[in-house]
Amino acid sequence: MSEILGQIISGSFDKITLRQKANVFLEIGELLVADTDRGKIIFQIYDLLYGSQLSQQNLELVSGLQLEENSNLELMDPELRSYVLASLKPLILIDQFGIKLCKTMPKFFSQVRALQPDDLAFLTKPKHPLFLGNIRSGSKELHIPIYLNSQEVFSHHVLIPAQTGRGKSNLAMCMMLNNLSEPTAGILVLDPHDEYYGRNRAGLKDHPFKENVVYYTSKKPPVGARTLKINITMLQPMHFQGVINWSEAQQEALYGFYRRYNKDWIEHILADDEFEGFQEGTLAVLKRRMISILDIDSTSSGLISHGLFDVHAGESTINDIISALEEKKIVVVDTSNISANGELLIGSLLGTEILHKYQYYKATGELAKKPVVSIILEEAVRVLGVDALAQGINIFSTIAREGRKFKVGLVAITQLPSMIPREILANIGTKIILGLEMAPERRAIIESAAQDLSEYDKNIASLDKGEAIVTSNFTKFAIPIKIPDYNSLLQEMQNKAIREKYASTESFAGMKLK
Amino acid sequence: MKFAHMSDCHVGSWRDPKMRELNIRAFSTTIDKSMSEKVDFILISGDLFNTAFPGYEGLKEVVLKLKKLHDRDIPVYIIQGSHEYSPTGKTILDVLENAGLCINAAKGEIVDGKLKLNFTIDKKTGAKIAGFIGRKGGIEKNYFEQLMKENLESEDGFKIFMFHSAITEYKPSDMSEMDSQPISLLPKNFSYYAGGHLHAVFENMEQDYGLVVYPGPLFPNSVKELEKLGCGGFYLVNYDGAKINANYIPVELCKVRSFKIDCNNKTPSEASEEIISHLSAEDFNNAIVILRFFGTLKSGSPVDIPYNDIIKLCYEHGALVVMKHTLNLSGAELEQISTIGQTLEEIESSVVKEHAGQISMTGYDPEKEIRLTHALIETLNLEKEEGETNSEFEKRILNETKMLLDY
Repeated sequence: MSEILGQIISGSFDKITLRQKANVFLEIGELLVADTDRGKIIFQIYDLLYGSQLSQQNLELVSGLQLEENSNLELMDPELRSYVLASLKPLILIDQFGIKLCKTMPKFFSQVRALQPDDLAFLTKPKHPLFLGNIRSGSKELHIPIYLNSQEVFSHHVLIPAQTGRGKSNLAMCMMLNNLSEPTAGILVLDPHDEYYGRNRAGLKDHPFKENVVYYTSKKPPVGARTLKINITMLQPMHFQGVINWSEAQQEALYGFYRRYNKDWIEHILADDEFEGFQEGTLAVLKRRMISILDIDSTSSGLISHGLFDVHAGESTINDIISALEEKKIVVVDTSNISANGELLIGSLLGTEILHKYQYYKATGELAKKPVVSIILEEAVRVLGVDALAQGINIFSTIAREGRKFKVGLVAITQLPSMIPREILANIGTKIILGLEMAPERRAIIESAAQDLSEYDKNIASLDKGEAIVTSNFTKFAIPIKIPDYNSLLQEMQNKAIREKYASTESFAGMKLK
Repeated sequence: MKFAHMSDCHVGSWRDPKMRELNIRAFSTTIDKSMSEKVDFILISGDLFNTAFPGYEGLKEVVLKLKKLHDRDIPVYIIQGSHEYSPTGKTILDVLENAGLCINAAKGEIVDGKLKLNFTIDKKTGAKIAGFIGRKGGIEKNYFEQLMKENLESEDGFKIFMFHSAITEYKPSDMSEMDSQPISLLPKNFSYYAGGHLHAVFENMEQDYGLVVYPGPLFPNSVKELEKLGCGGFYLVNYDGAKINANYIPVELCKVRSFKIDCNNKTPSEASEEIISHLSAEDFNNAIVILRFFGTLKSGSPVDIPYNDIIKLCYEHGALVVMKHTLNLSGAELEQISTIGQTLEEIESSVVKEHAGQISMTGYDPEKEIRLTHALIETLNLEKEEGETNSEFEKRILNETKMLLDY
């Protein structure tokens, strides 16, 4: 029988007061269980306060005597007279029929115990599992894994709001490592800090199934990685939307060139071609901005590319990336060495082409056979923030609004969820909340959560590194979890892996060997 | 120094005798041109032949030309391509090498489980040549991952790396489905990268590497390539001690004329009348004529179109070869079957990938299954050799298959 931690003594439905048993130390966020005739009710602590039989004045007096006069005055029956009270919120009721939202209260004076693994036997592993972490009761990690259905979660978008150092990247890494072990979705990571592949430390490249990681980088690709090159003929004017602020005349000129020259439109802009109906000045600005963002020079001997936008190579890069995603691989695009606008342009290009491809699949009836594709966006406010959207819609806001109809989702990572418009937050089906220090940020999340988190302010503020609360359209209650450290998760996966490589490498058949 | 770089000759690939002859003539013409240019040596980056055991006609012509080169002391360096692989290692390339008609540059040894390539040094010029084979389905990726690179990258002098793989970063957009390897798998610091397998003409000076060149096929290998490329070609490369100058030389034996016949909402006789009246005005002047029929007929079926009459008309107007393509043509009551590729390799690769992992087998993940499937296709595609009895042929196939499955 589980230890009794306290007893319910007063309160109302969403603020039940519990008296903590002596020598027990309850925590904010801890999960407790009251066994009732109707079933088990699971509660979560959202506040702790002191209670005492003595009046406040007397307490202050006793304290003053102890502090100021070194008095050895002690309270009689200290455990009876002074105690800790906990404010509880009911989460769910588990009865013979299953689990449901709790709409009742336990009997007055019900005793409350610690959560046991058996209490959560209803949590099963879905068909397309996305492992997020183990259930957490306060700061205690229970070894009960939490899985959500990845198809639902990824297609309905995920938000990971957290301040610096709370484990956002670690969470994203754990999600990807799990997808490598049990592929359920194609994941594209736009990586502005080159932290996921693991060039100089442990990362995705160390997973036993690393062949399902496709890494694109423009700076010294390690062996097996692909050089990030995108042919300029792959670009269209719509890819620049939300990346560069064009004037109306410039916008018209862009589309004019595209309509006339099709895939060679950029080449003609850079070649200083005249275009009737547009002023020289407009065309000159167009050329200058293109040169800057594409890092291409126009010389007498032709175009010379200096960056990742190429005039010769990279024609199949977009198709290769989409094919890899459709094979449920993880594609990491290292944007750490690219200008801010260049990074936005690549993101826009990839997001647009992925969405268009999946829109096509829906139109042709093939969508059901395709896996969900999720795009992990670091610093999501750059494209989903109020300021960014004030300059016009971009592909990511379009995906946020419509992507789920086409199995294309976002995983938006940000420190500033308050900067994301409410209508976008409302469209995000799952929020995995890590520690947020600033009150406006917590408020933004609480107000857009799938469950009632009105009492969670203190809970969220006290989340330590690796601790999170999962609020989702696909969970019955806001689940507190502990996210594993990706290094130990990786180690575990490496230890578990039993691989047998196809032995042709041992014979190098076909080569003339001594 | 001066050398010729060609690839993907695919001698013996066409079924049509005239196309087969053109294919062989492309090879002959290229060799003659190389000799007239007084090249120091020739590189053939894989798929000289379409199979490991080619037919008589093509083999005879190739041997004659290689003998001429040998007599003029012009070495020919070859590597095995994806079409020339045999699990036993016995291929016609070995025979040619043993006869002194060519030199296989894909040589090496295994050192601590890794593959160490050895340079072949051209006696006349001192050029150092290292080679790597190609396999179907991109299986050579595993070999690349085990390749020792330090010895290759640190070697001095003019170095040539011959390889038979598509490079991911260089694939044209219409070949994006093709198996490929990222350039990061290749050793760095070579003067010239003599590519093969990619049927597209491409050259690029790649930072940290050198000049990477794909000459494309020596002769178009499919209807799609005939339409897209028109002809094949090769590269003549000059190196004056400081700079490399690579020039593409097309090998155009005849023109290619392609006609798209839209049969949508037409009866077979309406469609044929339309094309016949169009073709009657043409003078093909020994061109290869391609007739692409597409669409959905209003009535009747594709077989109701009098193809023989249309083809005969083309020959009467001077066509050298006439090919018809009706894959995208359907009758009013037939369902359209969507194609997943235009060449045999593309279709094969797509289908294998699509069905990988459907049956769970112990010790086989989808990637291993894909590699094994391609290897089995290669083996089961082998043809009976001349003089080989049925039972010997059957035994050979069974042994080679067993070798693959025993791995």
